[in-house]
Amino acid sequence: MAEDDSEWVIESIVGYLGSPEWVIPVTDFMENKCTVFDDEDENKLSYTEIHAQYKKLVEKLLDNYMQEVGINEQQFLDACTSPFAKSKTLQSVFQPVLATDDFQMFRSLMVQKNMELQLQALRVIKERNGALPECLTDGVDVMAELQEQEMKILQEVLKKSKEEYDEEMCRRMRSEEEVGSTSSSCSDKPVSESREAHNAMTAPSQHGNTAKVSSKPTKKEESKTAAAGSAAKSSSTSKPKPDSGSNGVESRVLPAVRAPVKSSEPSASLIPESTRQSSSSSQSTAEVWLEEAHREAGFTKPFVELTTSQQEELQQRATYLRQQRDKLHALKKEQQKSKHTTTPVESPATTTTTNTIPEISAEEKKKLQKRKHLADKLKEEVIKK
Amino acid sequence: MGEAQKGLLSVIEKLKGSTEQEVRIVLLGLDNAGKTTLLKSLASEDVNTITPTQGFNIKSVASHGMKLNVWDIGGQRKIRPFWKKYLENTDLLIYVIDSADKKRFEETGLELSELIDEENLKGVPVLIFANKQDLATASPASEIAEGLNLHTYRDREWQIQACSAVSGEGVQDGMNWICNNIVNKKK
Ligand SMILES: Nc1nc2c(ncn2[C@@H]2O[C@H](COP(=O)(O)OP(=O)(O)O)[C@@H](O)[C@H]2O)c(=O)[nH]1
Ligand SMILES: [Mg+2]
Repeated sequence: MAEDDSEWVIESIVGYLGSPEWVIPVTDFMENKCTVFDDEDENKLSYTEIHAQYKKLVEKLLDNYMQEVGINEQQFLDACTSPFAKSKTLQSVFQPVLATDDFQMFRSLMVQKNMELQLQALRVIKERNGALPECLTDGVDVMAELQEQEMKILQEVLKKSKEEYDEEMCRRMRSEEEVGSTSSSCSDKPVSESREAHNAMTAPSQHGNTAKVSSKPTKKEESKTAAAGSAAKSSSTSKPKPDSGSNGVESRVLPAVRAPVKSSEPSASLIPESTRQSSSSSQSTAEVWLEEAHREAGFTKPFVELTTSQQEELQQRATYLRQQRDKLHALKKEQQKSKHTTTPVESPATTTTTNTIPEISAEEKKKLQKRKHLADKLKEEVIKK
Repeated sequence: MGEAQKGLLSVIEKLKGSTEQEVRIVLLGLDNAGKTTLLKSLASEDVNTITPTQGFNIKSVASHGMKLNVWDIGGQRKIRPFWKKYLENTDLLIYVIDSADKKRFEETGLELSELIDEENLKGVPVLIFANKQDLATASPASEIAEGLNLHTYRDREWQIQACSAVSGEGVQDGMNWICNNIVNKKK
């Protein structure tokens, strides 16, 4: 009897675990809380509290689900322990459920999520600027982690989204006065910028790669409205407001990932002065939260009790990363839905990166190596398990 | 509602369905007692790079056909209030004492007696490691047992084991006691 039962029950459960009712709150939780999870051997006390919150969330979700569908715990258990549920494919589906009872697994999931967000942020930066800021590239090391396939899709997507972005800009200009909902545009626009930058500069200017990175923030801060407007008006004369919104985000992201270097490395000098000055408005705060983000996301220090403001900063960072991720997600989906066909053979971005082998300290290299190692390990242990 | 949630958790617990018996062990004691050193030596890891624990460490050790999940929580005074959060579902408590740190015998005794009173540790067997026996100034285990009034413990198994986490001496004896005890308990 359990056989018959478990078949539809498990189908239902798997369906639920793939549904927005489950995926959204769980993903949301993880993305919100993952920033403190690092790859240190030692666990922070704060992990425990987060794990407890996670348990509560999952219990609540599963309770609701079981009530709705009308299955009891025994049926749930039978279904989940059936051979079908133990197949390789389904194992990963159940991981987030099992993680309630398994701190180590929970920790792995969170560390992995943190990594994902960071890698995605790197991707976005790279896409926007044509290359990663020098201080971020360990040339090959970092880029090796950005799976090429994804990069290609992403590039396609971004190209396509430029048009849509322009359209949207027009629509927005007409409909909206507030800065408000800029989030959906903030990754598109810089792309159009960077593309322009790319086209415009056939030969690298005095700073080479870095110039590209710096050019944008400089413009933006000097005269927010004008610069932003001009940057985005590739196809239409756009209104400044949504731009300044997205620039706001933009100006944060660069220092964000750069911070690790800046805070501890001499290679900070690689950052063009213009960038530093230009982002002055947000610089001091940025510096603080970036350091924090670095440490917490981090690859160095042990647990330190955070002040509320620091937590807010971390939250900010998490939110930002999440926005990026959501956007990428949406874009990717869209792209995959539509034609998958024209895959650019080689991206200008990739070329640029390879050309630029930045000076990077041994320590930084080690960090990146460690990070890459972690990524590999995670892939192996978490994803494939 | 509370019932239902409890039930659901236990369901999820069963879902793990490993054939191995898993045992949750919490490793506590004052800072500098040697908890992390002990943990790492149990896991056959390097004990020369250990720094004071700010959070907690977990190692899983296979022993006697069981999987021992050992949780080493930092012992600094400011962290001790967090100990409580790690006691739920504990199968066994290991309490580590620096046998050479006589100045803190009273302090460690107080902390232990508070743990013993914890609801979540009711009836839970306790192994006390009288650590750092390699030091000349170390007090013998029997003396420490007396100081801790271990003989007054009722309704739980207890054992004190002299050991040196650094040399490894005595550690295995303690682990054997654990395994015998858990096996007896759980079967
Ligand atoms: N002589 C000696 N030193 C030890 C022994 N166990 C730990 N230590 C040292 O005591 C210090 C604190 O150890 P640690 O494991 O960090 O203690 P914890 O705070 O309880 O985790 C370290 O310097 C260890 O090397 C031991 O058995 N003998
Ligand atoms: Mg320690």
